[in-house]
Amino acid sequence: MDDDGAHLAGEWGLIGNGVGTVNLKWSSRLLIPVAKNWAVIFLFLLIAVFSFTGRGFFSLTNFQNIIHLSTIFLLLSAAETYVIITGGIDLSVGFVMGLSSVLSAKIMQLLHAAALPQPMSILIGGMVGIAISFIPGLISGTLIARLNVPPFIATLGMWGVTNGITLHLCQGFPISFLPSKLVELGNGYLLYVLPGRAVSFLHKPYGLQDTQIRELIRIFPNSLVFSLVVLFILWHVLKHSRFGQHTYAIGGSMDASVRAGINVKKHLIAIYTLSSFLAGLAGVFNVFQTGIGNFTPFSSMYELFAIAGVVIGGASLMGGKGSIVGSCIGAVMIRLLENGLSISGVEPFYRFIAVGLILIMAVVIDQMFPELF
Amino acid sequence: MNRNSDKRKSLLVFLGRRWALIFLVIESLVFSFTTEAFFSLKGIQIVLFYGTTIFLLGTAETFVIITGGIDLSVGFVMGFASIVSAKIVVMLTNMGVPPAISILLGMLITWMIGLVPGYVNGSLVARLNVPPFIATFSMLGITHGTSELLIRGVPAKNLPYLANAIGNGYFIYLLPGKAISFFNKPVIQRGELLLEIIPNMVVIAFVFILIFAFLLKRSKFGQHIYAIGGSTDAALRAGINVKAHLIKVYMISSFFATLSGTVYMLQYVTGKADAGAPFLLDAIVAVVIGGASLYGGIGTIGGTILGCLILSVLETGLRMMGVPTFDKYIAVGVILILAVLIDQFFPELIHREE
Repeated sequence: MDDDGAHLAGEWGLIGNGVGTVNLKWSSRLLIPVAKNWAVIFLFLLIAVFSFTGRGFFSLTNFQNIIHLSTIFLLLSAAETYVIITGGIDLSVGFVMGLSSVLSAKIMQLLHAAALPQPMSILIGGMVGIAISFIPGLISGTLIARLNVPPFIATLGMWGVTNGITLHLCQGFPISFLPSKLVELGNGYLLYVLPGRAVSFLHKPYGLQDTQIRELIRIFPNSLVFSLVVLFILWHVLKHSRFGQHTYAIGGSMDASVRAGINVKKHLIAIYTLSSFLAGLAGVFNVFQTGIGNFTPFSSMYELFAIAGVVIGGASLMGGKGSIVGSCIGAVMIRLLENGLSISGVEPFYRFIAVGLILIMAVVIDQMFPELF
Repeated sequence: MNRNSDKRKSLLVFLGRRWALIFLVIESLVFSFTTEAFFSLKGIQIVLFYGTTIFLLGTAETFVIITGGIDLSVGFVMGFASIVSAKIVVMLTNMGVPPAISILLGMLITWMIGLVPGYVNGSLVARLNVPPFIATFSMLGITHGTSELLIRGVPAKNLPYLANAIGNGYFIYLLPGKAISFFNKPVIQRGELLLEIIPNMVVIAFVFILIFAFLLKRSKFGQHIYAIGGSTDAALRAGINVKAHLIKVYMISSFFATLSGTVYMLQYVTGKADAGAPFLLDAIVAVVIGGASLYGGIGTIGGTILGCLILSVLETGLRMMGVPTFDKYIAVGVILILAVLIDQFFPELIHREE
């Protein structure tokens, strides 16, 4: 234990000059891991509190629900993570998401109306929606890297442009009359269990009575599989690939990375394109989930909540710091808070206040113990 | 040849510095030709009337951006103020206070309350070193939640009629050749032409904007704001109390947001939580078009007003042409990027050495 303490003190330069013999007080030995992992601890605290205050909060169904509803936020937060680590910011993700969602839905709607087979129209619509999402990122990346436009402004410009195009496409109404298979896929589960009678994969057991539907246990939503796969790839790339290490290097010091021979401009363009692509992925997934193509309303502020998730997850807006796992915890925390508050019967308006307070707390903890992080 | 190129360059410099003004003139000319209503007394006043919100929020944002920060909360502080003022006015009127006094009191009390979000923002930024982006975004969430709680999803209503009369009234009424009256609408016969000049709310907005523009440009306080934006370290060494100063700047920003909330209450005779949400982008864009730098130290109220006018003319003109308002966002985004690109490519042109 003493060894551990000394090791910690040395690593974070807490006491003295990191000489091995320094002994940490037990209080700071306790404080360090708590402050370092406050987000996780806070998440568990929230779960514990809501389990008491809300009936039905602590259940498989509800947890799967939270995860299911977190999908787009997880993707957007992951997108912001990459951008924020480089020291930039991407304000356009929410509206790029809307653009992809509306465009892919529009194409699905047209193809569906033209009596194309459902899988075909879904596939084509989804592909186009994802393909279009590269463009805004490519443009804002080029503006930022090659023309030295501040990230805030470049992506704010894209925010306006993508929002305008989206609303132009859908004329301010959600796009409906889409293939019915869409929702089955997006809201489906990997495993359905009817206790004692049947187990089936990917689709509900056939010939169910109405009463039996209530007993049906649904396990592992498709959306979880989807987000796990995407997030695992992103985590791996950020943590273990050269691309990821260069991302951290650029955030740490742009000059140093230029001198280290990293092609910073190309890298930044790639980062903003990736962020935009992830937003597009979230948009297309949103179509699967809701069955309609939805534009992004102003007051939903997806981009700001995604950034909030990333900051709660321990990233710094100055760049150089952040992780996919942290951002995921942050994103899930916001969703969990929302879900728990509404199950506990608290009015939904409090969630805005709560998110604001948590965000301030995250940064203040970060500011108070800079040596810890 | 050398002189020739010098001449050419000086012309370019002249144009480059005034590109926003030139853009505004061209834009106005285009709308004057494409729509019948734009170039008229009424049309120009509509531009100003719809522009009040952007003028006020833009001024708020200018102060913060000059210090190198950003205030994301202005839109929802504005909504919050519109609700609080509407609530207070309705409450006082129900208690039997005359409408004029209750409106005045309501606005004054709201302006006081409106300083609180700014004080919190400023303290977080200055004393706790929270990045402005995060601090003001948190405040956005808190004011949004609080205002939704205050009205529970239903816009505030039952405001006295006087609010409408003030908010949509004009400064001068002119019956050509017959009468002129201030503030009060004269009784007119059918078919008579009544000229209405300068909306009341524009007068209120510009009184405050001019006071603070003067403060920014001519006072020590204003010069210190530029100093902080230029370099916080240098400002500290020059003996400026940077922390107290920053708090004041965020309070000014929050005050202007509150002001525009009360103006909204009078103009639209209601209070809505998301009253200012769509204007956050517009306000920041106007400041950037006006030549301010997000890195701090540069920016003027005059430039911001020019930026606001460009956006307001664009919005009004497109509406009069019958173009769907969605397309406005595309235009705003493109103008924003253009503004920064011009700034990037010709830095010598824009920033004169003083």
